[in-house]
Amino acid sequence: MSLAARRELLALVLDTLVPAGDRFPESGVLALDHVVAMAGASPETGSLLTRALDVIEQAAHGAGAFSGLDVGQREDLLRGVERSHPELFEALVRHTYDGFYSHPATIRRLGLEPGPVQPRGHRIEAAALPDLARVASRGPIFRRA
Amino acid sequence: MAADDRPDVLVIGAGASGAAVAWRLAGAGIEVVCLEQGDWVKPHDYPHWQADWELHRHTDWSAEPNVRRLPQDYPVNDQASSIAPLMYNAVGGSTIHWSAHFPRFRPSDFRVKSLDGVADDWPIDYATLEPYFDLNDRVMGVAGLTGDPAYPPKSPRQTPPIPLDTLGATIAQGFERLGWHWWPSDSAILTRDYDGRRACVNCGPCDLGCPIGAKASTDVTYWPKALAAGARLVTRARVREITLGPDGLADGVVYYDQDGRERAQKARAVVLAANGIGTPRLLLNSRSPRFPDGLANRSGLVGRNLMFHPYAMARGLFDRPLNGHRGPIGCSIISQEFYETDLTRGFVRGYSFQVARGLSPISSAHGGTVGDRVPWGRGHRRAYGERFDRTITVAIIGEDLPEAHNRVELDPVLTDAHGIPAPRVSYTLSENSRRMLDHGIARAGDALKAAGARTVASNPLLRAGGWHLMGTARMGTDPATSVVDGEGRCHDVANLYIVDGSVMVTSAGVNPTSTIQAVALYVADGMIRRRA
Repeated sequence: MSLAARRELLALVLDTLVPAGDRFPESGVLALDHVVAMAGASPETGSLLTRALDVIEQAAHGAGAFSGLDVGQREDLLRGVERSHPELFEALVRHTYDGFYSHPATIRRLGLEPGPVQPRGHRIEAAALPDLARVASRGPIFRRA
Repeated sequence: MAADDRPDVLVIGAGASGAAVAWRLAGAGIEVVCLEQGDWVKPHDYPHWQADWELHRHTDWSAEPNVRRLPQDYPVNDQASSIAPLMYNAVGGSTIHWSAHFPRFRPSDFRVKSLDGVADDWPIDYATLEPYFDLNDRVMGVAGLTGDPAYPPKSPRQTPPIPLDTLGATIAQGFERLGWHWWPSDSAILTRDYDGRRACVNCGPCDLGCPIGAKASTDVTYWPKALAAGARLVTRARVREITLGPDGLADGVVYYDQDGRERAQKARAVVLAANGIGTPRLLLNSRSPRFPDGLANRSGLVGRNLMFHPYAMARGLFDRPLNGHRGPIGCSIISQEFYETDLTRGFVRGYSFQVARGLSPISSAHGGTVGDRVPWGRGHRRAYGERFDRTITVAIIGEDLPEAHNRVELDPVLTDAHGIPAPRVSYTLSENSRRMLDHGIARAGDALKAAGARTVASNPLLRAGGWHLMGTARMGTDPATSVVDGEGRCHDVANLYIVDGSVMVTSAGVNPTSTIQAVALYVADGMIRRRA
């Protein structure tokens, strides 16, 4: 079954990886669309992520069973999958973090301005040049050759 | 065009060195054609104009060709290398995605055999290159500050140094408290408008290119001047091999044009500027009865003595925000406290510290160049919050000494999209380099703690750190132990020149581009002199 068809399970897994807290929503809200899009954009990525969900589903003993676990049990289950299938799990975490930390809502909560970095750039307040008197006073520290 | 319709010089590669040599030759009235396998990068092609700009760092704007896999890239088999080679294929070459650190080699870097009894001396020295360093600085445009006691006096920098900001000022205090050398980096990034180019707006991700031309990629520095002087640049032209005439001299190349058609380009002289992996690859692919082991390879040294700069990383965690997302990502401060040889440290030669900016949101989550991903699960938010915008990363860039077993060969199976054999890279870190990096990690930790870091994490060797590709067609006076002479001319083929990082005899402990370009300009002047 494709990843898109298992959005509910995927969202719960993502919520477990990056839970809500400290005024940040959980990643099932912010990263889900990105992870599904990445799976659709590359057969290689799609395979990794689909297999990751397959393994999680098997470990939970059924399609709906993961949702019946409490948060601690979900984490324990995912840590077991991380140990048994590190490559699949690495892809899952990587794309989850990518999706979560590129979302405008996350960027805003980090205190940054979301959106393109051009043309706005960043303003750095003018400052006096650093005092390098001590360094310069040492004299040449290179070897003449 | 000459009477027989051949240009005087064919340059292969339009990156840092190819652009410089094309400009210098064209300016002297020499007919120059350059073939470049990539294309122009248009200002609006860069990801900076998109909200998801940071995602591109790990996909189509990755510095690793094996990750990026664009049509103009060729694969590199790096399974036998502890460092992954990085490069970019376009007009501008790897200056498109470089961070624009612009230190020069120091005088002692050209005399390592005489001074320290290792590797070899260069056949040229700092004094010979000094006017070319200055010339190159003027064309590229350098932000910096004169008076650095780590170097002989330099000519005035073109613009003031890039701002240190909170992050730079913080780590500078660490160096100050320890009484160590530090100085604002020489950076090929404009802080004021210069030579028709705009000043940097401190947007941050220089490693994804610079869409406003403030960073000195050669598509915005040398190439407009070279084209105005009459040089001709052919893009999306992938060279397969260099061909020889009956006299044993190079007479041109065979290449594939943008439509995949095989073509020939003849020339009176050929200049290779395809980087420290692409150049040996092309020479090894240019076999003939006269050169059965690859062109200009009677010494057997083409592809050998590959040097990267091995990088280790130390990252300090601070208790306050550092505004690390503002300003050019790779540059703020350099320290050369441990640059010259001191055998009591347990290794020969030395290294520099480079202080980069902070990590953007996604990179913070993945651990940046230290690679320690923020843990997932219920502790994630707190761990991320403690780290984001509260880290300073110090890179330790160590001098890599040449070793013959570190090399570029042709892969027996892997090819590029045109069926041309791809390079296979073998590289192991030497014991000397290991001790050097370990020393650097410990001392960087001292500096970070002196600056107020609460904890320090480190990465003993950055795998995705093969920015600098050097040594694979080394320069020297003896044809038995080098590939090109002191003026960049192949010992075996008198009208074949090499001007990229391949010719470097040793690597120094700083970024090489400034020196590569100075050597390219010096070689160009030799060609002009001989022609006259």
